[in-house]
Amino acid sequence: MDVLMKLDRVTKTYHMGEVTVNALRETSLDVFQGEILVILGPSGSGKSTLLNIMGGMDLPTTGEMFFLGENLSRAGDKRLTGYRRNEIGFVFQFYNLIPDLTGRENVDLAADLVDEPLKVQEVLAEVGLAERMEHFPSQMSGGEQQRVSIARAAVKNPRLLLCDEPTGALDYQTGKLILALLVKINRERGSTVVIVTHNTPIGDMAHRVVRMRDGTIVEIRENAAPLPPERIEW
Amino acid sequence: MSALNNKLWRTIIKTKGQFIAVVAVVAMGIAVYIGMTTAYQNLNTSKEKFYRDRNFADYYFHVVKAPQQVTKQIATIPGVAGVTGRIQKDVALINDFNQRATARLTSYTLPVKYEINSLQLLTGRFFAAEGVAAQPGEQTRTGDIEVLVDPQYAEGNRLDYGDTVSIVAEGRVVPLTVVGTATGPEFIYLMKDAGTLLPDPTTFGIIMLSRERAQEILNLKGQINQVLVTLVPGADAKRVADQVEEVLEPYGNLAGYPRKQQLSNAMLEAELDGLRASSRYMPAIFLGIAAAIQFVILSRMVRAQRLQIGIMKALGYRSRQVILHYTGYAVLVALCGAILGTLLGLVLSSFMSQAYALYFNLPASIGAVNTQAIIYGFVLSIGISSLAGLTACRSVVKINPAESMHPELPKGGAKTMVEGWSWLWRRLDTAWKMSIRSAARNRGRFGITLVGIVFAVGMLVVSLFTLDAVDYMINKHFYQNQRYDYLVRFTAPVKESELLNIERIEGVQKAEPLLEVPVRINYNGKSEDDAVTGLNPGTSLKKLADPRERPLEVPGEGLLISQRTANKLGAGVGDMVEVETLLGIGPSRLSTIKIVGISNQLVGGGCFVSLQQANVLLQERQLVSGVMLKVAPALSAGLEAELEEMTAVSSVLSRQKELDNFNKNLEASIYSISILVLFALLLGFAIVYNSSVISFAERQRELASLRVLGFSIQEVSGILLKENLLQSVLGVVLGLPFGYLMVKGYIGALSTDLYSLPVIIYPTTYVYAALGSFFFIIVAHLFAVRGIKQLQLVEVLKNKD
Repeated sequence: MDVLMKLDRVTKTYHMGEVTVNALRETSLDVFQGEILVILGPSGSGKSTLLNIMGGMDLPTTGEMFFLGENLSRAGDKRLTGYRRNEIGFVFQFYNLIPDLTGRENVDLAADLVDEPLKVQEVLAEVGLAERMEHFPSQMSGGEQQRVSIARAAVKNPRLLLCDEPTGALDYQTGKLILALLVKINRERGSTVVIVTHNTPIGDMAHRVVRMRDGTIVEIRENAAPLPPERIEW
Repeated sequence: MSALNNKLWRTIIKTKGQFIAVVAVVAMGIAVYIGMTTAYQNLNTSKEKFYRDRNFADYYFHVVKAPQQVTKQIATIPGVAGVTGRIQKDVALINDFNQRATARLTSYTLPVKYEINSLQLLTGRFFAAEGVAAQPGEQTRTGDIEVLVDPQYAEGNRLDYGDTVSIVAEGRVVPLTVVGTATGPEFIYLMKDAGTLLPDPTTFGIIMLSRERAQEILNLKGQINQVLVTLVPGADAKRVADQVEEVLEPYGNLAGYPRKQQLSNAMLEAELDGLRASSRYMPAIFLGIAAAIQFVILSRMVRAQRLQIGIMKALGYRSRQVILHYTGYAVLVALCGAILGTLLGLVLSSFMSQAYALYFNLPASIGAVNTQAIIYGFVLSIGISSLAGLTACRSVVKINPAESMHPELPKGGAKTMVEGWSWLWRRLDTAWKMSIRSAARNRGRFGITLVGIVFAVGMLVVSLFTLDAVDYMINKHFYQNQRYDYLVRFTAPVKESELLNIERIEGVQKAEPLLEVPVRINYNGKSEDDAVTGLNPGTSLKKLADPRERPLEVPGEGLLISQRTANKLGAGVGDMVEVETLLGIGPSRLSTIKIVGISNQLVGGGCFVSLQQANVLLQERQLVSGVMLKVAPALSAGLEAELEEMTAVSSVLSRQKELDNFNKNLEASIYSISILVLFALLLGFAIVYNSSVISFAERQRELASLRVLGFSIQEVSGILLKENLLQSVLGVVLGLPFGYLMVKGYIGALSTDLYSLPVIIYPTTYVYAALGSFFFIIVAHLFAVRGIKQLQLVEVLKNKD
């Protein structure tokens, strides 16, 4: 499989007042094109920091990050903005939709950013929101909001979909539907999907599972037969 | 409470930009209030004191000439408290620069303290009643006529003790010796007449001397030509005046008018009125807007700190304590604003007092600190801020500790009215839709900000309008109406044929005669004093216009009445009015004449007839009292010199010199205009800055998520700018016409009998005001969103608590 992203001995150190926090210590990881990668770990293990660096929202303190061979570890704000814009789709735990835009308009907003977006209506239909797309976020359930959020990420047709605890704020059933949606996008569009979660069973749906603790990767496990989300229990 | 105080302090540090902005608005309001109120109080108090100390007359009567004993008879009229008979006459004066100026000779009987409109000596000593013998070391020579001059004239002409000025009286050149400077309550604002634009101490001054010497110089032995009267309190002024005029009837009544029509007093009162009006509405704008901004800040603070308030309440703090805590923010704003504003106000008032000292001859110092205004300023500032604070924090009561721990429900987006106009809505991009909905959701803040911008823009228009009005007046007065280079007036009317002497002076290209006659116009039982100017029909050096600014021609028959007089009399075109001449020579003549038009002059007003008709009014033939000249510019110096030689010439008005004087005076007003513009810009800045800061703070999370989505800093900033522009553009669009209304209101408050500023606003002023508005909008926006670069994507998107 081709390498989409390569992280080479990445460290991240935060200085919070007088305290120095080593969020990541010499972490190396390859992300392959078209895979579903789940990063597991308790809070404070460094998984979100890793995701932020992968998503171009943060830069490593030392070490290198390559995306399709391009070294982005020292990239400026402009390059990183372009990278997020064209290559990355982000799904947040709390959706972060624009409250003053309807579901469809939230997706429009992302579609306007790229040269060749997918069809907004189609993507919304794919996530099952064809009926409710003219509603405002405040009029939607959490699951609906997360679907909009996924549609917003997917409409740019990004190479890499990064999801930060995508089911964290949802109930069990809704959470599973959202995961199924991510699998569908991975399968139909070929987008690479990286999911960060502390919910261990979700690892069962991944092609590979990365386990983190104290800022380092302690295990990378391949799943020979990933389970469909519907069959995951937690 | 000390923990709460610490919290308050840290909140202020955290929002220091907003804190400083509101403090600035409060400070401007208080500064304007204290500055203007202090200036008003000082000016008014020193006026009152001066009037009282120097026995300012209640009524003035001008006669051709009357025996001085007539005052004894007037003193017996019931209601009359005091009478002074004096001589006052304008004479030509030759100064050091060999330029023709006018001196108003005014006589006094020593000791002056018993006189009405008595004198206050400023420098030197009083004149001697008779010719005096030289004292050792003094420059006075036997037979010299000693005089006092007004201080501005002395300064303008660099006159010192012992200097000589020459006047032309009764055809003779009379040297006078200056022994000091003095002023009187009727000389506070020194203008020759209502037709003059501005005081010009180089061409007009007061010369004060003893009555005996004045009578001698003017060949009026034992005579007076003015009677000043003070009234006992409660006397019926009109009735007393009628009785006085009856006594004076045989001596040729020329004019009788009350104190409020006395030119200096009227100008001073007009200034005081304007000042009082401005000292009320200007601070009201600033403090009102400051209160609105504080309301917005505190409402938002209470909403954002809902959880903290819940915790405080859970700990056992009472709602009242929490409310007081947040209101403390407003009180601190008020205190800082009041302190800063007071300091600024004192600077402003001293600046204004200096400007007034330049224009008004008031001997009592006008630099007092108005403690009352300062106290009121503090009370006003703290009162208004507390009110805004308390209103904004009302909702604290409703916050329930348990509920506050739950996350607040997501703010609801909603469809707006604009979406009904689908043709427009479809054309808007997503960012505009966001802005419009956000504005609709925050209607209160949007409205307050909008009103603030409207006022700021309006103030910009008002400040800049002054320049337009002045420019318009200059243009209209000096270039369109008044086409002559010189206006020469004679000491007494002469035959038209004598103008040949002037016409043949080298450089004179055109000479057109005029005859000015002071008159009283009677209509329907009412009467008004005015001046009638006779001009030749087809005259080219003076242009007349009607109130709608259409050109008027001098009619062969009939009267073009001044708009002011027409309004006062209630007379209109077609009415017959009775005209009574009040020229100092010969008896007064009565004639009836038909109004054929209404004339509106920006400066001075005045009625117009044909030259021939003016002669008919006087029952004379071919008399002229002055001449308008068009002169080749290169030869004007020679012409001025020749005119100086002519003793029959009383005054020479040079357009160029008037214009220079006008421009010199304009420089002083540039400062006050700049201050106003600066205040308006600061006001606008503070409003937009605050609303942008709040909007930015509330939407950090939203904006960060846009950044993650791939929006660049410029694009995110652009979204905020669009929201800002939405209210700003609306504010400017509404603010420009509002500015026009403000100008109208302002002019309405100022308009006096003496002059009226036209409500003229050039299109460029609107353009400049709009540009100025966008300037403060963009600067405020950039200041408010400068945190956008530091937007911590990772931090902001972390869990919501």
